[in-house]
Amino acid sequence: MNAAQDPEDLDLAARAAVTIGRPADALRLLWLAPDTLPRIMSHFADVEPIDERVAQWSMEAPLGRTLRWRTQIEEKASDHLAWTSLDGADVPNAGALQFAPAPGDRGTEVTLDVRFDPPGGLIGEGVAKLFHVVPREMVLKALYNFRALALTGEIPTTEPQPAARNGGMDK
Amino acid sequence: MRALCWNGVNDLRVETVADPKILNPKDVILKVGLSTTCGSDLHLIDGLIPTMREGDILGHEFMGEVVEVGAEVTKVKRGDRVVVPSFVSCGECFHCAQEQYSLCDTSHPKPELAEPILGYPTAGIYGYSHAFGGYSGAHAEYVRVPFADVDCFIVPEDVSDETALFISDAAPTGYMGADFCNIQRGDIIAVWGCGGVGLMAQQSAMIMGAEGVIAIDRYPERLAMAEALGAVAIDYTKVDVVELLKELTGGRGPDACIDAVGMEASGQGMEQAYDRVKQALYLETDRGYALRQAMMACRKGGTLSVLGVYGLMDKFPMGMIINKGLTLRSAQQHGQAYVPRLLEHAQRGELTPAPLATHRFSLEDGPKGYDMFKHKTDGCLRAVFAP
Repeated sequence: MNAAQDPEDLDLAARAAVTIGRPADALRLLWLAPDTLPRIMSHFADVEPIDERVAQWSMEAPLGRTLRWRTQIEEKASDHLAWTSLDGADVPNAGALQFAPAPGDRGTEVTLDVRFDPPGGLIGEGVAKLFHVVPREMVLKALYNFRALALTGEIPTTEPQPAARNGGMDK
Repeated sequence: MRALCWNGVNDLRVETVADPKILNPKDVILKVGLSTTCGSDLHLIDGLIPTMREGDILGHEFMGEVVEVGAEVTKVKRGDRVVVPSFVSCGECFHCAQEQYSLCDTSHPKPELAEPILGYPTAGIYGYSHAFGGYSGAHAEYVRVPFADVDCFIVPEDVSDETALFISDAAPTGYMGADFCNIQRGDIIAVWGCGGVGLMAQQSAMIMGAEGVIAIDRYPERLAMAEALGAVAIDYTKVDVVELLKELTGGRGPDACIDAVGMEASGQGMEQAYDRVKQALYLETDRGYALRQAMMACRKGGTLSVLGVYGLMDKFPMGMIINKGLTLRSAQQHGQAYVPRLLEHAQRGELTPAPLATHRFSLEDGPKGYDMFKHKTDGCLRAVFAP
């Protein structure tokens, strides 16, 4: 899948990669672990694992709307994971994760593709109105979060922390 | 707790905020013992670096006592007196493994803000804008320190709080700058800037065996401090610096030049006027006078070690680097690589950063301290805050 090829789709599709100093097997297991997606996607959506393959996504969209969908993982090969949304999704979408060995002892190159196909009524509003996070940022931050989790067991955060706003504790 | 907060361009106030909490299992909470001003803070205060938010706590150079420990912290204990480098580093990633700690791959919580500016996020920094991670700073009673086992260094009993404080940033930055020069027998090192980082670079070059160190500044009290460390001090307002450097090096030029000035460089004449006007109009963020002079003065095949903090500078004479075959080395400090040996140098009396603390304030007087530091009032080299 190369979702970003069609220029007309650029705003609704994104692709990014990171290199992680861990073997592909370990990264694949970590990605499929039940609490991984909820943690690495928290900037974009609330993800709730339903079973090993299916996850429920919900996202607070602008104008007080909540968008919901379910995704199902279809494994294709040991170096590849792919998922698509199930029927009834507010915003139909698909994603794929590719693992490739990095040169030397650099570990594994992890490439994430996502593509959103909103129905006609929604697409007219543009991506900026549809999501609070554009797909490019969603993909990049998910990968950075995933790398941090794989290497350190935690995801860097500053929330909440002291600041002279919001009653002294920034959210 | 009380904390020194940025509330807009040139608007600092001490405010009451919530205490920091442990957020990740490798965090600790530090009771700040001492913190200090850094020249790079002035870029934030003056609004030259965007992505500050009103209410952010400043401060990235500090030491203190561990008062709370996260569940996965194994080495650092409650009650330890520690110094912490300014950059948050995980110790696990590609860059940390190569001791490039300020380039850590995993410690930046807001990579989406840094990636458009630099291509890739740096490590996170305490109190240094959201494009650099947005971590709360250390001009406060307490500060949260992630990856404590990697980033906290126990201060030996015979090293004072003041000395340890500067081993957080000024000393490792200066030491790294001298390290970049790969100092060989007979080398003469010129250092632009006699602030905290510049003085530490000068002393570090001596520790590394430089034949001579030449210090360049305009403030008599700073030049006197450089001389006290053993450097030859030059007032750039009184002489032709490039000519004098040639004279002092038998016509060769300094083997390496360290820029410890950065984007706020003062200069003279038309070049200075050009830079200042462009900076004031936000056409560029930097006044590069010191860096350009260092490039001119450096001997052929020499090393240019850039420690001064820059934004996005235009008018950069690349031809000087190519035609003179200069090696350009630069980084934000990889402090974790240097702190252990700096503490040893301090114990042996070879590294003496404590005199940088020319003025001491309570945290409540933080805005006054920054004002004196910014305007170099009363010879203020560094303002140190004790909460």
